[in-house]
Amino acid sequence: MPRHIVSGLKYLTAVELVRNGLSQKEVAETLDVDRSTISHYLNGRNLSWSSIEIAETITQMCPKDFLLLTYALLDDLEKTRIMVKTCSKSKWDAIVKDSCIACGICVDTCLMKAIVLENLKARIDSDWCCGCLICRDNCPTNSIEILEVENGY
Amino acid sequence: MVTNTKEVKALDFDISRSTEEERKLSFKDEFCIGCGICEKVCPVEAIELGDIGAIVRNEADVPKICIDEDKCVLCGMCSVGCPVDALDFTVDGESIKDMDVYPHYVSSAEIDDETCIYCKACETACPREAITIARDLPDRAKLVTGEIEIDKETCIDCGICEEMCPADAITLEHKIPTSADPTVSSDINVDKDKCVYCLICRKVCPVDAIKAVCRTCSYGEYDLDPAAAEIEGSSFIDDDLCVRCGWCQEICPVDAAKVKKPFKGELTIDQDKCTSCGACVDICPCDVLSFPQPEEPGQIVDKVFKDEKYCIYCGACGNVCPVEAITVKRTDVDYTPTKSKSWKNKMESLKT
Repeated sequence: MPRHIVSGLKYLTAVELVRNGLSQKEVAETLDVDRSTISHYLNGRNLSWSSIEIAETITQMCPKDFLLLTYALLDDLEKTRIMVKTCSKSKWDAIVKDSCIACGICVDTCLMKAIVLENLKARIDSDWCCGCLICRDNCPTNSIEILEVENGY
Repeated sequence: MVTNTKEVKALDFDISRSTEEERKLSFKDEFCIGCGICEKVCPVEAIELGDIGAIVRNEADVPKICIDEDKCVLCGMCSVGCPVDALDFTVDGESIKDMDVYPHYVSSAEIDDETCIYCKACETACPREAITIARDLPDRAKLVTGEIEIDKETCIDCGICEEMCPADAITLEHKIPTSADPTVSSDINVDKDKCVYCLICRKVCPVDAIKAVCRTCSYGEYDLDPAAAEIEGSSFIDDDLCVRCGWCQEICPVDAAKVKKPFKGELTIDQDKCTSCGACVDICPCDVLSFPQPEEPGQIVDKVFKDEKYCIYCGACGNVCPVEAITVKRTDVDYTPTKSKSWKNKMESLKT
């Protein structure tokens, strides 16, 4: 059931956010969930292990599938961005070549909102880049290269 | 996926994409000169220049360029390349012409109102009808001074003065005579705002009924205010239409018009290849090209005459020439600096 998978994803995100030093209150606010639910999650209650397993599998899919599937399940872009950023274990580095013409298609297609145009060139924020390669695939001048610089799996 | 929408209005069209920001490209056919620079600079080959020779000569209802909205990525390069204002590109409603990050041609056309004498030579010469000169002419009555009086008792209503008055200042109230009032006119009047005291009426009056004197002739201009002879006015250049050809600068008798062209270059016509079809003469937005007239019968003249000082090196003539007799070379492009290498390369690529 999609709702259970979403709970699994929220659980994984909550665990990761707490590990990153956020309080339960902050986690609840970030994920827009009751504090009690977060507390239950973190104490291993109210959630089947199979949901968590499926959610884990989703986070380990290729970044584009992880991103699009999460977005399809949640139907909420802001939460999708936070979950993907939090649960993604790889680090990405983006190189924008001088052939960039600043058409802005990458800005418009990036679901993570990691790209801005600066001085007629795209600038990609590595913190938010999830490695989905949607920008690279849509770039009309093939100016974007995304490199995986750290693999946490 | 993001997609573009196209909105067509007669010969004009808009292509836009709205997501994070709204990007919009607007084409206005009336300003397009058919130079084809947009087609050359488009990085995704989305623009196709129409058969502009046929379009211009037949005044066909077909836009001069066609842009494939599925190929267009809305980068704005065509708008920056367009030497006129046929392609405007806006990001969130602001034209990139007003944004410093984008390169722009360094070009301008200005008329200094302090120097301008409002002779309208530029307005007449401008091949794009981009110039409007508005002028307020002085009151004629304030430029002359004199006196005129018609002795209505002596006047026989012959109407000779009315017919001869060069300023149409004399009016008779013509009528059919009746037994009760056996006259041909009920009244005669002089409009002193129109009268220039030329004294023709006095000289032609058969009964010497008119007394008139020109004070300027007798006493000089002592009672005239020189300020009253001043011509007020204003000049206006429509930037959308102006192509910076330089006609106004060349024709201005007082050097009030200054034009800065974006390109330097060279225009060559191969007189042997030329077939005098006239397509180039019709397309040229700057009236550079014309057919020369022989001064005497039998004299052999060039097939097409060019006056390069008006040329903006847009290349439209070269595009329409069916026999490739015209070569337009751009040796220099003056544009504002940009930090983007790809945009700089694009501007440099305009040099041929």
